Amino acid sequence: MAELPLISIVDDDESVRESLPDLLRELGFDVRAFSSAEEFLISDYIDHTSCLILDIAMPGMTGPELHNELKFRRREIPTIFITAHADETTRPRMISNGAVECLAKPFSETALINALELALK
Amino acid sequence: MRDGYERKEDPEDLWQVVDELPALIWTSRPDGHCEYLNQRWFEYTDLTPDNAYGWGWQSVIHADDRENMLETWSLIRASGEARDLEARIRRFDGEYRWFLFRTCPIKDASGQIVKWCGMNTDIEDRKRGELLLQENEQKFRAIFDEAGTGITLVDLTNEVPIRNNRALQKMLGCSEEELSRYETYDELTFERNRKGDAATFRELAEGRLDSLRMEKHFILRNGTSVWANVVFTLLRDAHGDPRHIIAIHEDITDRKLALQKLQANQELLDLAQKAARAMAFDWYIQEETNTWSPEQEALYGLAPGTFDGKYESWRKLIYPPDWAAVVESLRHAAETGDVSVEFRVVWPDGSIHWLMAQGQMFFDDQERPLRMVGFTADISSRKLVEEELRRSEAFLAEGQHLARVGNFTWRVATNEINWSEQLYRIFELEAGTPMTLELIGSRVHPDDMPLLYDMVKSAGRGVSDFEYEHRVLLPDGSIKYLHLIAHRTPDQSGQMEYIGAVQDVTQRRFADEALGKARSDLARAARVQSLGVLTASIAHEVNQPLSGIVTNASTCVRMLDADPPNMDGARETARRTIRDGNRASEVISRLRSLFGRKEFTLESVDLNEAVQEVIALSRSELHRSRVILHTDLADDLPRVEGDRVQLQQVILNLLLNAADAMNGIEARPRQMTVVTRSDQNGRVRFSVSDVGVGVASDDADKIFDAFYSTKKSGMGIGLSVSKTIIESHHGNLWAAANDGPGTTFCFSIPCTNQLTKVSPDLTDGAPEPHDRSNFLRSV
Repeated sequence: MAELPLISIVDDDESVRESLPDLLRELGFDVRAFSSAEEFLISDYIDHTSCLILDIAMPGMTGPELHNELKFRRREIPTIFITAHADETTRPRMISNGAVECLAKPFSETALINALELALK
Repeated sequence: MRDGYERKEDPEDLWQVVDELPALIWTSRPDGHCEYLNQRWFEYTDLTPDNAYGWGWQSVIHADDRENMLETWSLIRASGEARDLEARIRRFDGEYRWFLFRTCPIKDASGQIVKWCGMNTDIEDRKRGELLLQENEQKFRAIFDEAGTGITLVDLTNEVPIRNNRALQKMLGCSEEELSRYETYDELTFERNRKGDAATFRELAEGRLDSLRMEKHFILRNGTSVWANVVFTLLRDAHGDPRHIIAIHEDITDRKLALQKLQANQELLDLAQKAARAMAFDWYIQEETNTWSPEQEALYGLAPGTFDGKYESWRKLIYPPDWAAVVESLRHAAETGDVSVEFRVVWPDGSIHWLMAQGQMFFDDQERPLRMVGFTADISSRKLVEEELRRSEAFLAEGQHLARVGNFTWRVATNEINWSEQLYRIFELEAGTPMTLELIGSRVHPDDMPLLYDMVKSAGRGVSDFEYEHRVLLPDGSIKYLHLIAHRTPDQSGQMEYIGAVQDVTQRRFADEALGKARSDLARAARVQSLGVLTASIAHEVNQPLSGIVTNASTCVRMLDADPPNMDGARETARRTIRDGNRASEVISRLRSLFGRKEFTLESVDLNEAVQEVIALSRSELHRSRVILHTDLADDLPRVEGDRVQLQQVILNLLLNAADAMNGIEARPRQMTVVTRSDQNGRVRFSVSDVGVGVASDDADKIFDAFYSTKKSGMGIGLSVSKTIIESHHGNLWAAANDGPGTTFCFSIPCTNQLTKVSPDLTDGAPEPHDRSNFLRSV
């Protein structure tokens, strides 16, 4: 049996780290959740992660900063940004910076699946 | 005689010599009997020896001289000594000439006189000279004695008395005899000068000087002073030795006294000139002599004595730009005689000084300018002050011009109004136009006339200060906004006078309006902005739990749809959904406490103070609405207990409502009266009356309902909130129509000791504005 694709979630909000992995597992992915960008960077999962679901606004290193750091390390992982602060400029900005998708919280299951399909293509 | 001489030489020769001698020679016996007369004698007298020898010669002696001569001749013979006598002898032509008879006795060996011999020499010329001299002497004597000046003649050769004349005797009050002695002069000489005068005289007497002029000061015996100008002249003899001194005394006492007086006057004048820093000048125009005192020179910065009096030199001293004015004044002086000019001079050190010359021009018989007399004064300091004054006046005028401020004084009793130049400019009236209230009224904007009436009324009551903002309508239809303040003060005559300033605030007003608009724009922007921030904050806080809810719900549905359904998982995710829902609700209530009302604070409030603070805050708003505010705050108003800020919001609300109610009222002054009173029931009452449009009677009970408004701009919240606040203070808020136009709004609340309980909960039933100041504005 082939290994399930690993989805890594980085979000400071506990309710996301609690709820989103369950849904993703239901969708058939392997999931790891991290409460901060720093925690993810020191983990062993960078190279195994097929898709990164990344909160934009976090204390310490923000989502886009982690995204840039990975680009700098040539460890580019398809990334879906999620945010509770979204306005009309956020999504285009993130996508132009190389994000697969940017989802405003709360996002629907469908929107998440579409984004994952795009990321794992 | 021939017998008497025995000589070796030829006697004939000798006699021939005697005959030829140019003199009349004779001999006689000791008794005078003539024995011999020489040839010259006979030739001169034309007598013959027969009628001349013996005593016949007497016939040619002048009859007037004969007796005297014979007597003298007999005395000579008696004395036996050689002596002379003088007498006139008739010549052959009948003319008598004076002769000197020199007689000489001839003695024998025993000393006995044996003969007399004699020689008569013609002294007619000398005698004439003597006569002339005598005549001259008499004339001189007369002149000497009668002369107006005192004269002394001092003979230096021997102890001859000093000759002096009558004039001198009179001058010095002494007799001729007294004045003939040196001691008298010494005695009369002013004691202090004695030594010096004597020394000077000695120099002259010893021939070291030939002439000398000195002013002698005599003290007469009666104690009076006499001054004489004395000219001493030394006369020398043939050897050049000092012989006589002539001294001519000119009495200068009167002149001296006059001079002394003059000098005293001059000194006084000098003093006066110095004191006044005004120096006299005296300019003889035709002679080009210009007498300047050292002080006058000092006015021009010149050293004493360096001014040569020339017109051209004077011209060079004058500051060139002022020369034309000087020339003009001279021309004027030549026409009218009056000299008056102010001009600048350049001192040698380059500094410039203001001088003023005033005086009189005098004319000669042909009416040409002859002499100009006057005085010059240094007026630099006055000019400085004038300049300073002129400058500060200019500054003031310029300052007023720049600040668009005009001044006025208004004496109410007589309606005398004085305007500054700038004020005329503001009103666009010609400067100097006599000002009347009617004229002012003609310029005041018709809508603002009530303000003018109010001002006149206030001034009539004698209020100490007033302040208005009103418009003027100019003939070209443009409008100016003016800000007027005035203060009452007693003028010099003790009458009441208002002194005031009027500022053209049109530009400021426009700027204010622009600023007001900008401010409200900004406020709106800020409100939108803060709403945006608020929204984002709310969104974030709410979206987080919502996100959890949605995700959990999706998971739950998937778990239930699974085969077999994962019931435990679904149960767990459903629980999380409930938890997140509660969490969202908590967020909302947290937000509400964050942005909602503050706590009600209880404190002791002085309502008058609170009212005054609100008035101070809203004064500019009231001015802008051209509201004339009257306050009547009760003394000793009891304090009330409550929320000061909330009460002030009510007061502000009522004040602004009253002002708004009068907006558009032009027929009468927009009077607003604020009153505080304590009543008998232990309550404090506040009321504000306007003269506005009033409230229709069927609206009266609706006005305190929320969302009721007679105004387009308001939301009708203010009165409703106010009512809630006042009621929470256990008070009442009500409105009543005035007897005249307008409405009075009142509230009454219990004072501190009457208040038993105040509810802290004011939020029930009250609208919930985010910004508590906004709702009052939007009433």
